[in-house]
Amino acid sequence: MAGPTSDLPEAAQRRLTSGAFSSGLSVSDFAACLEMGLEPVGLVQGFCAMQVANYAMGGYTMGGFAQGMTPAGAQGGYVQNYQCPHGMISAEHRMWGQNYQQTWIESAWRDGFNSAYRRMIEEAQALGAHGVLGVVDSVAPLSDTGVVEYHLTGTAVTILDGPAATSDVWSTYLAGQRLAKVFEAGYAPVSIIAAVASIRVWASCVTEYLMEGTNFGWSNTGEPTEIDQIVSAQTNARDIARARARANLHGDALHGASLEVATREFSRGDLQIESRLRGNRIRRFKDFDPLAVPKPTVRLS
Amino acid sequence: MSERAPAAPIDLKAEVRRAFAPNANAANDAGATTSDLSIDEELNLHSIGWEPVELVSGVSLFSIPYGSWNWGQGEIATASVAHERAFRGAITRLHHEAARAGGHGVVGVHIERVVHATHVEVALVGTAVRPVGAKTISFDAVFVSDLSARDFTLLMIAGWEPLGLATGASFVFAPRRSMGTVLQQQTQNVELTNFTEAMYSARESAMERMQRAALDLHGTGVVEVKVVEGPTRFAMHAVGFVAWGTVVRLAKAEHQMIQPMMVVPLNDAKVDFDAATLA
Repeated sequence: MAGPTSDLPEAAQRRLTSGAFSSGLSVSDFAACLEMGLEPVGLVQGFCAMQVANYAMGGYTMGGFAQGMTPAGAQGGYVQNYQCPHGMISAEHRMWGQNYQQTWIESAWRDGFNSAYRRMIEEAQALGAHGVLGVVDSVAPLSDTGVVEYHLTGTAVTILDGPAATSDVWSTYLAGQRLAKVFEAGYAPVSIIAAVASIRVWASCVTEYLMEGTNFGWSNTGEPTEIDQIVSAQTNARDIARARARANLHGDALHGASLEVATREFSRGDLQIESRLRGNRIRRFKDFDPLAVPKPTVRLS
Repeated sequence: MSERAPAAPIDLKAEVRRAFAPNANAANDAGATTSDLSIDEELNLHSIGWEPVELVSGVSLFSIPYGSWNWGQGEIATASVAHERAFRGAITRLHHEAARAGGHGVVGVHIERVVHATHVEVALVGTAVRPVGAKTISFDAVFVSDLSARDFTLLMIAGWEPLGLATGASFVFAPRRSMGTVLQQQTQNVELTNFTEAMYSARESAMERMQRAALDLHGTGVVEVKVVEGPTRFAMHAVGFVAWGTVVRLAKAEHQMIQPMMVVPLNDAKVDFDAATLA
């Protein structure tokens, strides 16, 4: 049941403890669920609306920062500086460039997602559930003032003839036959995993010229050239998200992962690269049963 | 790979109870692995004695020098070279990541490829795999493939092995038509041979490059070739042709006939009825 720290609204607690069960499962997933000895007890949800802090007011597009400095919120993260090789050309010339990790955005994302997740799990605990399956998450702007809504939903289940439910509720994005195969393969779901990395790029003069195809005499010799600053930002965005997800595995496996990367250009040479990695943390509870080599079939119809 | 008898049906309810029994998880000693494979794909791999190791990625961006798309003649060599180098750079990084993680290859590589007027972006994501418990091998021996784990399994069963990704790209100007030709053709249904020939030219160069890359990897062929072709959106007077696929070669003495089993589904045919007959 929900503990003393629960922030579930009273009405939600009343609703969850009485009435018919609800579920977000399709009929076939519902059937597979019963086949596994899992009984749906309720559709559980968690919400959180977060405002992302705006660092360095007045210089948010980075142009306002001095060379080699990063916003206070970015301290401790990935930072890489790129020096102009040309010397003083003009005040408009980009004498330096910088990639830095927007740790405060990552932190807001993590707090928002984790709060919504915790609230969903609290609802499952209130129902006496063992786990939550078929989790669907969404992260969307709630307004155009930098507020982001985190919403998680899933179906809480109990294990028929299973051990007594504890506060340690498992969760998974999977449901139906895909979840059944996970159990068959000897894995138990532990939790969903989501990690994000956000890198801001303030292009140096050379990066800007290479990206925009201008001033080629200043940027290279007319040959195709690798754009190191962007490659480094893209690579680090992926690496940080993966490292973060891995740090939450504690020796378990991440299965069915999805790595999405989005690039947004705020203004010329000012990019934000955001990567999101999501997947299912699973734990082996028995060795793989020997499997026959699959038999190819041809369907005649 | 070994032929094994199919396992007896599993009591799912018992398996679920076992998974969450207080003393479960005793077998969890393999260390953390990450993968974007589905459970079906992982089971496919397992059936031939392979396992996922790590989710790996590789990115590269190469510039296309200013003025490359200004109308000219023949191939736009700088764009073709930028495309080839971006692909090669991303593949090399994927190779390194997979080798570092102890993978012997990467399967199911998703390819994101964008050609801008000023640069080419290539981003690859896949899962490094290895024979169960195998030791690390050298960077050069790691293969990269965009075949799904299922197709990789089928390929291995048939006695073949993937060697790497081969790509070829060519961007070619469609020659200008003279004003006289334009006026002459304006009122006719007529093939614009300048575009057709430019496409054929791009096709031959790109396919030749991809096949040469396959030979460089000591392969005998390329499977699952994907082709993207057509005009570039920012330079309608230029056409591009890009092809990529997985290089394979026979690993066993001869091709193993997979002898697929014919199956006839016994599902009922869909029953249609007219709502008017319900009355």
